[in-house]
Amino acid sequence: MSIDLTRFENNPDLIVSQGDERDTLVISMGPQHPSTHGVLRVMLRLDGETVVTSESEIGFLHTGIEKQAENLFWQQAITVVDRADYLAPLSNSLCYVLAVEQLLGIEEQIPERAKVLRVIFAELTRIASNLVQLGTHAMDLGAQSIFMYAFEMREQILRIMEFVTGARMHQSWFRIGGLALDVPVGFLDVLDEFITSFPERLTDMRAILEKNVIIMDRLVGVGRISAADAIAWGLTGPNLRASGVAYDVRKARPYSGYETYDFDICVHDGGDCYGRFVVRLDEMQQAWRIIKQGREKFPGGPVVIDDPKIVPPPKTEIQHSMEALIHHFKLVSSGFNVPEGHIYQAVESPRGELGMYVTSAGGNKPWRVRWRPPSFYNLQALKALAPGNLIADVVAIIGSLDPVFGEVDR
Amino acid sequence: MSETLHAHPERAALTGVLENLRDGLGDNLLEAVSADDMDEAAILPAGLHVAVNVLLAAGFNMLADIGATDHHPLSPRFEVSYHFIAIDGTGKLVINPARYRLRVFPDDGDPVVPTLCGVWRAANWPEREVFDLFGIRFEGHPDLKRILMPDDWRGFPLRKDYPLRGTDRGFVAGGRLGPVPPVVTS
Repeated sequence: MSIDLTRFENNPDLIVSQGDERDTLVISMGPQHPSTHGVLRVMLRLDGETVVTSESEIGFLHTGIEKQAENLFWQQAITVVDRADYLAPLSNSLCYVLAVEQLLGIEEQIPERAKVLRVIFAELTRIASNLVQLGTHAMDLGAQSIFMYAFEMREQILRIMEFVTGARMHQSWFRIGGLALDVPVGFLDVLDEFITSFPERLTDMRAILEKNVIIMDRLVGVGRISAADAIAWGLTGPNLRASGVAYDVRKARPYSGYETYDFDICVHDGGDCYGRFVVRLDEMQQAWRIIKQGREKFPGGPVVIDDPKIVPPPKTEIQHSMEALIHHFKLVSSGFNVPEGHIYQAVESPRGELGMYVTSAGGNKPWRVRWRPPSFYNLQALKALAPGNLIADVVAIIGSLDPVFGEVDR
Repeated sequence: MSETLHAHPERAALTGVLENLRDGLGDNLLEAVSADDMDEAAILPAGLHVAVNVLLAAGFNMLADIGATDHHPLSPRFEVSYHFIAIDGTGKLVINPARYRLRVFPDDGDPVVPTLCGVWRAANWPEREVFDLFGIRFEGHPDLKRILMPDDWRGFPLRKDYPLRGTDRGFVAGGRLGPVPPVVTS
């Protein structure tokens, strides 16, 4: 069977420089390769085992989330928004609800309890997501057992998620105006258990990994990118901070009350895979600090705003009040209108600056929800990071960039 | 042209930007607004590179995003939105960085916008995505082809006149390269 390579032959990026006598070989890594963490195809041109050029092909997981969001009511769109970055769904919905709340002009009215719970759950999501990255990254490098440790720790977080929101992965728990439901009785007990048990387990994991000879051999100096290049490629999140740029949306432009928490921005000056790995480990520690502070604050009161035009009234009220029933009917059948306008909202997702540019034409559906997916920009830099490294290092670089293909392809 | 005063501290340093944009762009500047989230300017594609040079000079070193919106049936129909951030790359904690948005309105019938690939390497994929989903061409782009949809896809899915479901694309047995040839056994 012959494969038509002319497409890649004619690509100026893949042509080897003139006068180069050495033979090169084009191989397709993916889209079913386990260490591409999803469905990524990388066309590698190799000289021996060294990568000469790399060209990524994406789009295998394109599900038209942006198109679907335009065809759902504002409140319904949260369900598809959650499914973009499936490892950190609550960061996605947080970004979306913050944007819509600003368009509605209700961002000042969000109850304190809802804000604190949003922060706690966004940080729990960050830990869960970083654990997946850490586990799969270590597995790519040959450390199989770390995967089990990481997923066992993640399981504890997913159990909290399930206990509170009813779903392990696509929680859709944040709503425009607050939260879908208040936390159940016993939530603080499971949260406390997590807060007490997590540091020790994280320390265990650090002890195994951080100074591990194999990890350091595979990661130190591999896939190095300078601060200026990282900015030019639009890298954000841990990938940018590992190059020494202290940019974190939670500090740069705080949202949902992040300015009231005390936490550090983790920066590494290596700019290599090891730097990205250490920054992610540190960030779990900081996320734990934020959760702990959220637990200490944990205010009482309502979790949604008191506005029946936006938030459906409680079920008990619907059974007794005609007006509440009408509000409920109206919200379910035709949603609510959002004033005309557009806004760019950014949050710090586990992968970097997740932005949404939301445009409203005044109707009951979003006119346009444009994602700024951090993984999309991070993955694009693979083209600059891979050449000069061995194929085995490409696996390490992809893992350290931490792309999530639900978000890259949307 | 409507303008409001800069009410936000991070925008105080941007006072020169608007004047430079106005001087450099002339008629290509449609509107400049100090919106709730950041300052923005609406321009015509012919003025994009001038505007970008003004922003580069003002310290906007990161291209945060390129996206597009279809305002069909309104005219101008297409909007290509660029978001820029001024990030201090020296390692100091970045607090309240200045942000800027350019909204570029190309022609309705044949939307063409100059590429920014020569200025930011990050512009490559998002421009391909806008081309793929909206059919807006980026003049001078080194490799303008579809990125999310299959290469032989017809139509531009995120245009408002493109249906949510029921596209005319049929299933091709064996994939895009045609039917699978029968296995010959000797």
